[in-house]
Amino acid sequence: MKRSAAEIVTEYGPFPGVEAVHGVTYDGTHVWFASGDKLNAVDPANGKIARSLDVAAHAGTAFDGRHLFQIAEDRIQKIDAATGEVLTTIPAPGGGGDSGLAWAEGSLWVGQYRERKIHQVDPDTGKILRTIESKRFVTGVTWVDGELWHGTWEGEDSDIRRIDPDTGKVLEQLDLPAGTMVSGLESDGGDRLFCGGGEAGKVRAVRRPRRG
Amino acid sequence: MESLITAAARALEAGDPLGALNRVALRNDAPSLALRGIAMAQLGDLAKAKTLLRSAARAFGPREAVARARCVVAEAEIALVSRDLSWPAKTLASTLAGARATLASHGDLANAAHAGHIEARRLLLLGRVDEAEGTLAEISVSPLPPASLVVRELVVAGIAIRRLKTRDARAALDRAGKAARQAKIPALVAEVDSANLILDTPAARLIARGSEHPLLLGEVERLATSTALVVDTFHHVVRRQGVAVSLGTRPVLFALARLLAQAWPADVSREALISGAFQARHVDESHRARLRVEIGRLRTQLKPLAEISATKQGFELAPRKTRDVIVLARPVEEKHAAVLAILADGEPWSSSALALALGMSARTVQRALEELARSSKVQSFGHGRARRWMTPPVPGFPTGLLLPGPLLKA
Repeated sequence: MKRSAAEIVTEYGPFPGVEAVHGVTYDGTHVWFASGDKLNAVDPANGKIARSLDVAAHAGTAFDGRHLFQIAEDRIQKIDAATGEVLTTIPAPGGGGDSGLAWAEGSLWVGQYRERKIHQVDPDTGKILRTIESKRFVTGVTWVDGELWHGTWEGEDSDIRRIDPDTGKVLEQLDLPAGTMVSGLESDGGDRLFCGGGEAGKVRAVRRPRRG
Repeated sequence: MESLITAAARALEAGDPLGALNRVALRNDAPSLALRGIAMAQLGDLAKAKTLLRSAARAFGPREAVARARCVVAEAEIALVSRDLSWPAKTLASTLAGARATLASHGDLANAAHAGHIEARRLLLLGRVDEAEGTLAEISVSPLPPASLVVRELVVAGIAIRRLKTRDARAALDRAGKAARQAKIPALVAEVDSANLILDTPAARLIARGSEHPLLLGEVERLATSTALVVDTFHHVVRRQGVAVSLGTRPVLFALARLLAQAWPADVSREALISGAFQARHVDESHRARLRVEIGRLRTQLKPLAEISATKQGFELAPRKTRDVIVLARPVEEKHAAVLAILADGEPWSSSALALALGMSARTVQRALEELARSSKVQSFGHGRARRWMTPPVPGFPTGLLLPGPLLKA
């Protein structure tokens, strides 16, 4: 396993009226983050909130290319990114103990925080297709270039780790500075990972190490 | 964090404990237990709340120090609200201070401030006004969430009221009201309103030249600078400006002084003095002899303030260096008024906490409570050590002025 300190490239926020960041995703242009009763789109170029949708947003956020997915209470809402309308909802696999959310390979990937698990879920029915065990409390989840990354937050420590999707084995670990929490995770498809900062109300961009 | 925990925590913050319970009622993980505990506390089930918070503190892992500290702070607040003042003194004061330090060192300044406010409120309740003020001064103010600001200003107002600084109290309550409306928590708005009532309802009665009228706290404050000779029944003191004679341990002398002051400038008959001060039904020669002795004693005590001269039918007071004599009395005079005054805050008190706050022995307080209970002036619930006493707040019988403490110390 490779272990190194996380390199924080940029910090966005804190944002006015935002108490905490609960989930993060990226639609190719904007970084979206969940702040309890809103989904906010941040322009990564200037760090300003470009627009907000009024929708319950208590944990993980994901984007499938057309729709936003957002965990609220014990459900996953499928949201029209243009209008903010909730199109459908499916039950969340952790029954409300859910934390991170990612979209990849036609499935939703949901972190179950204290159970230290990641579930692969059918986005139409909510059916659990398989479950990956982690060693730590799971917050954000993201897939990039066939790599499964997730954020952890246990006690007062957070890190970002790449795990083997079949065995759950930790392949690589990026440690965040003490007191810096990861409450959501999303890749920009390149070498940046966007991390929600929990109660700090910030979003951070962390460099994804190149392999090889 | 987790979705439902976030949703429940947001409901709690918005003053919706039922909404919070709905979301975590059936869960037994540590954060759910903590949220359920706080929700139960807000709903008034303090015993259940305490148990839940204890199990939450145990259930959090050893690496979750902040979460543990928050549970300790919440439990301390419950102890305060249930007037459980005796056990916090040793155990809680240290654990609360520890929790406060943990929260501060982990950057949770809002909850660290909350812990400090709890300590200040406890000190204020115990009448340790200077210490309460000192604790408040240690708390860094900015930026405090509105709900914390309300609590802070209520403590500031409480300190000002106990020091009889009504203008400061009013200013603090104005700030508290503004913050409470901003916090949008109805219970806080109500608490500020009832605190405002203290300033707007009579806190005392003024008896002078045979007539009496009610006094607001602000008027009592102005009285402190008056040049009149004041017989103060709150503190069993006779004073004129800086000169004070304490008769706290001489109830008979104080009763005589009061009778003479109430009648002034007229005199009081021997019979009236004997029946008023000795509680004697039939006046005989031994009473007259005793009256002569007690008047002699009072004369010695009051020497710097007043002369007592004999008249044809009794005695009269002749104040020195002033042309005014007034009696400052409680709005409603009751036996065990001090006990009732504390209970008038409407919160349940243990008899040991009352004894601590009043500086009386537990047995004396117990006797007073039992006597008051027989005349339905107080009620109790619970048994043994969990027994609590309370009374509905009596209008016109505010808690502020009547709480023990240095009423007129500038």
